[in-house]
Parts: sequence; C-alpha cells; structure tokens
Amino acid sequence: MPETVLVVGGGPAGLEAARTVAQLGGRAVLVERRDVLGGTPDESHYAALTPNMGSAQEALDILRAGVRDPAIEVHLGARLSAFAGSAGDFTASVTGADGATTEVKAGAVVVATGFQHFDPGRETQMYGYYEHADVITLPDAEKMLSEHRFVRPSTGEPPRNVAFIQCVGSRDRRLGNDYCSKVCCGVASKEAIEIRRLLPDAKVYIFYIDMRMYGYWENEIYWPAQEQYNVNYIRGIVTEIVAKEGRLLMKGEDTTMGRPLEVLMDVIVLSVGMEPSRGTREVAALLGVEQNRFGFIATPGEPMDPVGTSVPGIFVAGAAAGPKDLEDTMGMAGSAAAKALAAARQAGVRTAGAVS
Amino acid sequence: MSDQPLIKVDRILEKEHAVIDGIDISGRWNRMFSQRSITEYPTEAMDWITGLDGGESLRDCYQCGKCVPVCPVQHVGSYGPRKLHVKVLRGNNLIDDPDLWLCTTCGNCFRVCPKEVNPLQIMPAIREQAVLQGKVPDELAQAFANLQRQGNPQGESPRKRVDWAAEAGVPVPLIGELGRPVDVLWYVSDYTSYHPRGKDAARAMARVLTALGVDFAILGPEERSDGDSARLAGETGLFELLAEQNIKAFGKYAFARLVVMDPHAYNAFRNHYPRLGWTGEVLHYTQFLAEHVERIAWRSRLDLEVTYHDPCYLGRNNGEYDAPRKLLAAIPGVRLAEMPHNRANGYCCGGGGGGMWLDGFVAEHVSERLSERRVREAVATVGTDGSGVLSVACPYEPSRFEDAVKSTGNDGRIVVRDIIELIDQAMQPLPATTA
Repeated sequence: MPETVLVVGGGPAGLEAARTVAQLGGRAVLVERRDVLGGTPDESHYAALTPNMGSAQEALDILRAGVRDPAIEVHLGARLSAFAGSAGDFTASVTGADGATTEVKAGAVVVATGFQHFDPGRETQMYGYYEHADVITLPDAEKMLSEHRFVRPSTGEPPRNVAFIQCVGSRDRRLGNDYCSKVCCGVASKEAIEIRRLLPDAKVYIFYIDMRMYGYWENEIYWPAQEQYNVNYIRGIVTEIVAKEGRLLMKGEDTTMGRPLEVLMDVIVLSVGMEPSRGTREVAALLGVEQNRFGFIATPGEPMDPVGTSVPGIFVAGAAAGPKDLEDTMGMAGSAAAKALAAARQAGVRTAGAVS
Repeated sequence: MSDQPLIKVDRILEKEHAVIDGIDISGRWNRMFSQRSITEYPTEAMDWITGLDGGESLRDCYQCGKCVPVCPVQHVGSYGPRKLHVKVLRGNNLIDDPDLWLCTTCGNCFRVCPKEVNPLQIMPAIREQAVLQGKVPDELAQAFANLQRQGNPQGESPRKRVDWAAEAGVPVPLIGELGRPVDVLWYVSDYTSYHPRGKDAARAMARVLTALGVDFAILGPEERSDGDSARLAGETGLFELLAEQNIKAFGKYAFARLVVMDPHAYNAFRNHYPRLGWTGEVLHYTQFLAEHVERIAWRSRLDLEVTYHDPCYLGRNNGEYDAPRKLLAAIPGVRLAEMPHNRANGYCCGGGGGGMWLDGFVAEHVSERLSERRVREAVATVGTDGSGVLSVACPYEPSRFEDAVKSTGNDGRIVVRDIIELIDQAMQPLPATTA
C-alpha cells in the first residue's frame, strides 16, 4: 500500500497538494468542511483571478478535476475530530456531517485551511460597513462582478463614483494585524478595471497608503489600470464615511497635497485583508502545530523552507501560513505535497527497517 | 504701494513694507527667492524627540494620514500629527514652531492610528523641553505662574475657592471642619470653584447631592488644581507639585471615594496620581449620579431638545460615554439628539492640553475656534428656536461654548448647560422657565 498523506482543506492549496501526492505515486485523503471543493475563491464568489483575469471557476474546475483520481479519497462536509501520532504514523478521525467517524492512517499531513476576509465591523475608522448599504467589501464586489454587473446595492443603479479604500484590517497594530495582506492592492486594481469595463462612464478611485504591486502585478495590473482604464490612484486615506443626500461622503486626507478630502461616492469598496480562518485556528490547535502571533500557522524554516511547520511530518500550504496570492499558494502546495510524501516514505523505510 | 499686487507664487517672497537703512524697498524691490531644492535630511530632530521620555512613538508613523482628517485643529487650520512627523523628518524639532502648542491632546488621532503613535505623550514631552528653555507663549506662562502661586490657573486666592457655596442654598461641609469620615469627598476643581458659570454648576451639584442624602464634604481652601492640563502643556514639575499638595490633603482625611466635576481631574487622579502615591476610587460626577438616578425625585418637566458634547477626557480618553447619556435620558422632557461627532469621535472644545490658556495664541493659527465649530454642529443638531441645549460635563466648556455661542451669532438661540444644572432644574418644585 502506498504511503498516505492527509490533506486538510479543499481550496486551491489542498486540491493541488492532493493532486501532486497522487501524481508522485502516493495516496491522498482530502478532508473538506464544505460540501463543495474550491475553498474561499468559490465560497466568496471570485469572478476573475488576479492578475491574468481568467475565470476563477474555470481555474477551480481544473483543480477539482485533478482530484478525481482513484488514489485520492475526498471527504466532503467533514472535519477532523481527533488527531494523534508522529511522522510516518499519524491517526486522524474524520467526522462527516452525519456524525459518522472514519479513522485515517497517514504518514504525513498537509494543512491547507486557508484564510478568511477581515470583518470590517472590527475596523477602528468609521466606515460603517454594517450601516451603509453602499459600503461593500472586495468579496462583495467580486460577487456582483461574477454576475457581470456592478450597481449601488441601495438602488440597483450603476454608480457614477466608486472608491476603493486600501489596507482595511491590514498593517494595523491596533487591530493586531501588523502584516500587509499582500493581494488587496492587486485585487482592488483588478476589480477597478472590471468596473471600468462594465461602466465606462463611472469614475473609479483607489485611496491607498502604499501601492504594493510587486513583480509582474506592476505591469499586468497596476499600469493597465492607470494607463488604459484611467483608474485614479490617490495617496490618501479615509477615516469616516457618512450618508449625505443619498450618497456617501468620504472624509480623509489627500496626503500628497496635504489637504483634507471630502468626496461624494456612490459605492465604496473596503479592501479587506486576510486573517487566519476559523478552520486554520482549530486545525492548528488539534494538530498541535505552532501558530504565529497572528494565528497563522508558523513556518519556522523560513526563508528556505516555507512549508515545514513546528511538527515533523506536518506541512502547510497557502494562506493558512499567512497572506498569500494564488501563485504562492500553488507553489507551496506542490512543495508541501512533495515534502509530505517524502517524509511519509522516509518514516516508512525506518519503520520497515526496524521490523526486519 | 496699494496698487502693487503682492506676488503669491510659492517660493517667491516679497514684503509689502520694508525699509532698510532708511531706504524704502517695499514691494518688488525686495523680491527674494527661497531655496527650492531640499539639500539634506537632518536626522537630529527625530533622534532628539524620540530620545525624550514619551517621544518614542513619533518615529513609528508611516504617513498613512488617518490622523489628519480626525484632528480637530486640522478642521480649522493646517495641522495634524502626520504633518508634524513630516516636519520632524525634515529637521524641525518643533521647539520654535507654533504647531507645538496647537495640539489639545484630545486623542482622536491616537484612536485611529494603526501604528499607535501617541501625541498624548509626544506633545507633552517636547513641550516640557520648550518650558525648560523658557519658550512658552505668554498667556500659557501666566497660567503656569498662577498655578504655581495660587494653585489655580485664574490666579485667585485659595481662600476664595469656596465662596460659591454661600449661595448654594444648602450647607456645603468642609471636610477639615467635619472631623469625621465621609462617604464622598467632592473634588470641586478650578473652573467650578471660580468661574461664574462654573459656580452655577457647583451650586447645582451641592443641591443635588443634598437632595439625594449623600454624605459628602469638600476640601475647600486646601484643594489645589489637579494639574493635568499643566502636565499636558509641558509643565511636568508644576503638575507634580500640585499633585503632591492634593495628595497631602487627601491623606489627612478619611473618605470612601472621590467624586470630581472635571474630566481632567478624573484623568489625573485615575491615571497619573497612582504613580505619585495616591490610589483610591475616583468617579466623575456623572458616573456617581448614574448609580443613583432611580432615586432622583423629579419635580419638573424641562421640555428641551438636548445634545451632549463628550468631553475628551471623560469619553475618548477614559471610555465613559454612557453615564452622562443615562442621566440626560432620565430627565423628564429631555429629548437627546446626537451631533454627528459623538462618543469616540467627539469633537474637541479646544480647551484641553493647555488650550484653555492659549486661546489668543491659537487664534492666530486657525480660522475659527474649535468651540465655535462645535457650537455650529450643536446648532445644526438641536435647532435655533430657543429650546435647544448644548449640554456638557466638563467645567472648561460652559465658558468656552457660551463665548462661541455669542461669536457665532447664536446668542438667544441655543443655551449651554452642564448636565448637573439640568438635573438640578428638573428637581426643583417650581415649573421650569425655559432653560
């Protein structure tokens, strides 16, 4: 019987990890909390992926097809309820929605439990996400864009002025989220392009502290947004949103000009960052892997080993380890799968040696 | 000269009137060009400020700018913690900069700061250095001198501190004369003791405490200013002197808790006197009365539209928003309407952090007083038909806001009342005349 790798989480990282394990001749057991595969990109209705604008569902379908393999056992609507053992000899209990528990023996584990979007109710500014219908988040906008429309939720009419506010829930010591969430600059710019495509008459603004468009995102997203789609980038931040004459008055400072800004908008999109998902926190605790002070799974071998956790035989892939874009996620998934299978095989060899 | 337009282009300087060695070179004859390029970034100013006890966090600013739009001074001028950070990064140590004295330490910037840069510590730290160098605006220096000599910023005699009590209509016992422990030592504070409108609040408080049967007494002439605003204005030594005097007086008598009229005193006793050796229970009077609100016997209905101004040092900086509102809601006939800036986002009256004693200085650097801006907000909230009330819970405010009511042309259209005055009024048996 080939070595088994337990993969926790059926988002992009988990799907890719399971597929890689099978491709390398191992066996994978994939456990997913929801009844469908695809993770946050599916659950949060991602439309087009950053930066290449390809369809999110088409990309996910490729990953889903990858786990239709006799060497991969998929448990949907399931969660880990118990876990014990050490590298080469882990035992996990997988409990389904019906309460039935299956015992899984695995030589290694890949944790791919992902992130959740920051809840804008926790921000310390006064954006009023739960107060104003036309204040929405990146995933809220994504849901509309996946239906090929972008309107003011309060009226159903297309907006004239749209603003994105960056760094909501990120880079903030007071919230305990000191880190940059890494993808929001690109995702906001991508959505801005989509809005401009849908609504050529709408003005779209991005209010930022620092634009973080590293590598190819610079030329593939940032420059086209400015040069072809006339998205207006304003270095300035917003501290308050108030309802005025049926629209939204955003108040802040244009820091380049050193002057106050008070601009009427129709829709304001909060670029919410990443936080560890509930699943990441729960699974980390159950597996006994160390979390960093933000609750993400710690990778003490950084920078040369971005997938090893504090427990030998347990690896992590994707945003369970901190803010990640999809490129990083997929790279980590392959690496974690390969290392997990190698760890399971090494442990198997040692065990076999001891028996003989 | 009047037909010679002054050039307003940036970096071109031209004086309208200039005479050098007896030669009139007014107007274009004295045109000069200031240097345009930045040729160095001296780091000494930042190193010096962050080396001060309390100045450390200035360096942490990452220029996001969230502080500036919520800064009350920015609303009436060009100012803000982010802008101070830029100045310091460019080598200005702020000692000779008017900006040093504009901060009211209201704390709204700190509320929103993602890096926890704290001007409530930074500004007093730099100001202390200015005080040591004798670079203090004259009017502030006068208040410091009064505090030093008389124990109050007005420079009144300590013996007159209890004069208000003669017209309270109820006995106001001095703890030194009682010779027994009391439940409540009522710390009256400076403006409540000496300012005409403050005295109104003091008398109302005495009547309300008496009607509730509270076992209370005051320090009287032994009371000194709490010193908190002097501390925030940079006079740490003076603060410590005043605190020492108050702590000595507190130590002479037995009382269960301290009840204060002034949020600045509340802040001092709660957060700063402990490290100087006094610890005990301290309540703002709104907190104390909120505990007893069910026992208040109301006798009049006020029929007023009331808005409430959160004092920075009761609300944002000490977290008490509900007690004053609970009291207002209990007064028969009072309809509470919130201003757009309320609770954690309350707009500063301009009196904190030494602002009380810098009105003339600050006026030269702002387009209107913070108190005037706040009064406009109150008027927009409760209207101008005469039934509107701007209620307050800090003795700095009646005088500030009443001046602002007049200067904004709202005399007779809105009134300013301490919450204790409204409570006292509604407890009186006679039908109330309009507040």
